[in-house]
Amino acid sequence: MTNDKDVKVLLIDDEETLLEYLSKRLLREGFTVKATFSGEEAIQVAGDENFDVAVVDLKMPGIDGVETQKRLKKIQPFLQCIVLTGHGSVESALESGQQDAFKYCLKPIDYEALVETIREAYEKRNELLNAKFREKVEDISSSGLGARGIKRAINELRKTYGID
Amino acid sequence: MESTDSPQDQLKRVSQELLSNKIQLHQTTVFLQSILQNSNDLIFATDVDGVLVSFSKGGEKALGYTREELAGSFIRDLADDPLEFDKLTKASREKGSAVRLELPFRGKDGQTIHCDISLTDLTNTEGKTVGRVAICRDITHRKKLQEDLIQIDRLAEIGRIASGVAHEINNPLAIISEISGWAGAVVSDAKGLSEEDREELETAARRIGEQTDRCKAITLQLLSFARGSGPAIASFDIHSLIKKTVSFLEPHLKFKSIDIVLNFEDEALPIKSDPKMLEQVFVNLVSNAIYAVKEKGTDKGRIELKISRAGPNMEIMISDNGTGIPEGDQKKIFDLFYTTKPLGKGTGLGVPICRNIIKKLGGDISVESQEGTGTTFTVRIPV
Repeated sequence: MTNDKDVKVLLIDDEETLLEYLSKRLLREGFTVKATFSGEEAIQVAGDENFDVAVVDLKMPGIDGVETQKRLKKIQPFLQCIVLTGHGSVESALESGQQDAFKYCLKPIDYEALVETIREAYEKRNELLNAKFREKVEDISSSGLGARGIKRAINELRKTYGID
Repeated sequence: MESTDSPQDQLKRVSQELLSNKIQLHQTTVFLQSILQNSNDLIFATDVDGVLVSFSKGGEKALGYTREELAGSFIRDLADDPLEFDKLTKASREKGSAVRLELPFRGKDGQTIHCDISLTDLTNTEGKTVGRVAICRDITHRKKLQEDLIQIDRLAEIGRIASGVAHEINNPLAIISEISGWAGAVVSDAKGLSEEDREELETAARRIGEQTDRCKAITLQLLSFARGSGPAIASFDIHSLIKKTVSFLEPHLKFKSIDIVLNFEDEALPIKSDPKMLEQVFVNLVSNAIYAVKEKGTDKGRIELKISRAGPNMEIMISDNGTGIPEGDQKKIFDLFYTTKPLGKGTGLGVPICRNIIKKLGGDISVESQEGTGTTFTVRIPV
């Protein structure tokens, strides 16, 4: 079972009041939450801090949701993005699909569904991360390093991927 | 010259002229009769008092009376407003002829037939009026079309206004929804509240949320009227559009055993149409299917989406094994604001919107349903 406290969520939406209450609710739910009000701000924040799941509004002034997602993924490749789209925006949603969004949620959002989707996105991120980790471990073990060398390399990997 | 003609020759010449006149007269009669028989217009002839003496097949067709039924009756009595017709007769008497646009007649079944009418006095060789001929063009169909167009225009305008309002209201609604959720959460953990007050406040917060959801459903539907403009045709893969639509609706499937079966190949199936409009159609129809299955309360809910090529069309069938639609209601579901859902659950806009859209895309939509067994909507759109 996911411990919500471990889930670091980055919220990006230009509707400030909405985001204020959404983050309050998610915080109370137990998630670790950071709210940002533009794509630019989110990208800046993501440079300093790691997140597991981002909830991105598709339509924003400045950098839009698709572009924000693209840039966030460049900074944090394992970050899972949930894209909020207005009704009838499947085309943009399909376009952002090329950037591998975890899921699209129709706006206005259904809170329960969003919480559930965030948890699923977190699971997905961990799976990807573990798979990548195992792959690296395989690489190391087949690399012909000595026992000590392997242990050191794996410890380094653990650090890189944040796995204990 | 003529004096050289013998009486026999003269007689012969006269009888030849007579024969040729007779033939001409016959031809003219046949000609006029064929006009009377074949014209779609209503052509009446009356005597000087306005008593019908003949009228055309077109008149029988439009009014529903046979020639025999009307023989001997006054033409003015067929008019919706006989006094109006009298005015026209008077004008014709004074000027020799008269024209009136959009004069309504009353048919045998009480139906109104709108006609453009022209009335002409018939005179004999001495210039005396012996009767009148009326030629009426049935414009009921055209008038109906015009009224429909005005109605469509009005609807589109209402739609534009409504969707503008809906759009503006959507954001505040989303905020109210979040705040009510937040208030509910705070109340449930608050210290120093009596259990009774806590329940009261929790219920209140939940109700605010529920009613906001109801508003959201309405604005969502109204917004679709905004796309009153023509379709924006693009080439896209219908399979992935449908998969995407179904994934949008997944939150509604939580905790229910409903199987959504996508009965089509995985590979892309390109189509030229308006993807936004079609998305709306599928969201509406699949939501309805989910609702019908939930209503039935079966634990073996099944919704199937099937796509196949039918001649120049793509055929998309959406079937469910839900409650079904009673036969008497099957036509009404296409009417605006008709809904079978309980108050607050349905807007009565979903299916009419679907039909509007499909019409705009040059296709058609039909429904087959059996109460208690399920419903299948079939959408056909040109590829």
